[in-house]
Amino acid sequence: MEDYTLRYALLKDIAFLVETIIEAEKSGTDTLSYTTIFGLTQRQTVEALTRILEEEIDGCELSLSSFMIAEKDGKIAAAVGAWIEGNEGVSSTAIKGSLLAHVLPLDAVRKSSQIANVISELHMEVEKGVIQIGLVYVDENHRGKNLTQLLINQHITNSKAKSEALTQVHVQVFGNNIPAIRAYEKFGFKKMKEVRSLSEVITDYLPYHTKIAMMLNI
Amino acid sequence: MEEKINEGLTTIFREVFSEPKLTITNEMSSKDVDKWDSLAHLIMLKEVEAHFQITFKIREMAGIQNVGDLIKIIESKLNDNQ
Repeated sequence: MEDYTLRYALLKDIAFLVETIIEAEKSGTDTLSYTTIFGLTQRQTVEALTRILEEEIDGCELSLSSFMIAEKDGKIAAAVGAWIEGNEGVSSTAIKGSLLAHVLPLDAVRKSSQIANVISELHMEVEKGVIQIGLVYVDENHRGKNLTQLLINQHITNSKAKSEALTQVHVQVFGNNIPAIRAYEKFGFKKMKEVRSLSEVITDYLPYHTKIAMMLNI
Repeated sequence: MEEKINEGLTTIFREVFSEPKLTITNEMSSKDVDKWDSLAHLIMLKEVEAHFQITFKIREMAGIQNVGDLIKIIESKLNDNQ
């Protein structure tokens, strides 16, 4: 391994984390759900995500504390989010929804309600008490160096230090993200569940019409 | 007041989660309703704010474990407004 330092993200890293969230949400496509679902511009999306991360609310994919980053020569190379699901008694579903409610105006939210039934077809509730991997992004200059695996391993080590009872790591990926699925399989993850939307408009709003949940025993 | 909150919430929940016969309970949370994802949670919270003319603080919302917690916060905000 080259000289990468792994550490938890700090407030000063928020710009990179916003890029991480946006790129991970796009899953290799041009479809950004914050734009398609809420009608936000790219700039409004960046502002909303920045405000959310600044709140430092733990326990979901939009939590600053969930991210570990790999850094080299003072520059961030990769970020991987993970948390212990339901650790404080609240689901990541509810925490993420609350953070979005805090920053999005009612008219944008009402716009999204027209397609909420379609979006929910790809929802898989996260299991309480597992380590859930959230959003993952590696800067293109640092790919092929196993940074995702290094960061996930560090998340597992840190989570196990908090609770030895943890036995599983889960991750959800869009079905089009074959490189990620292969990488997780190589790492030992097994496919656990797949959900599929039959709606013809789903890919107007999300990167793909299937989502796969994978798990790793630790 | 409890009845008024229950009525309002039932209407909102049935609409947001597309379940016309849904009955809310204090223990109910996202794991109990199929269509309760983060988007539905967001819509539900914004509609609750609009319906009861209240504004949640982020730390109030992020601490809501179930419908019972939500009812308590609404009740306390409506009491403050009186």
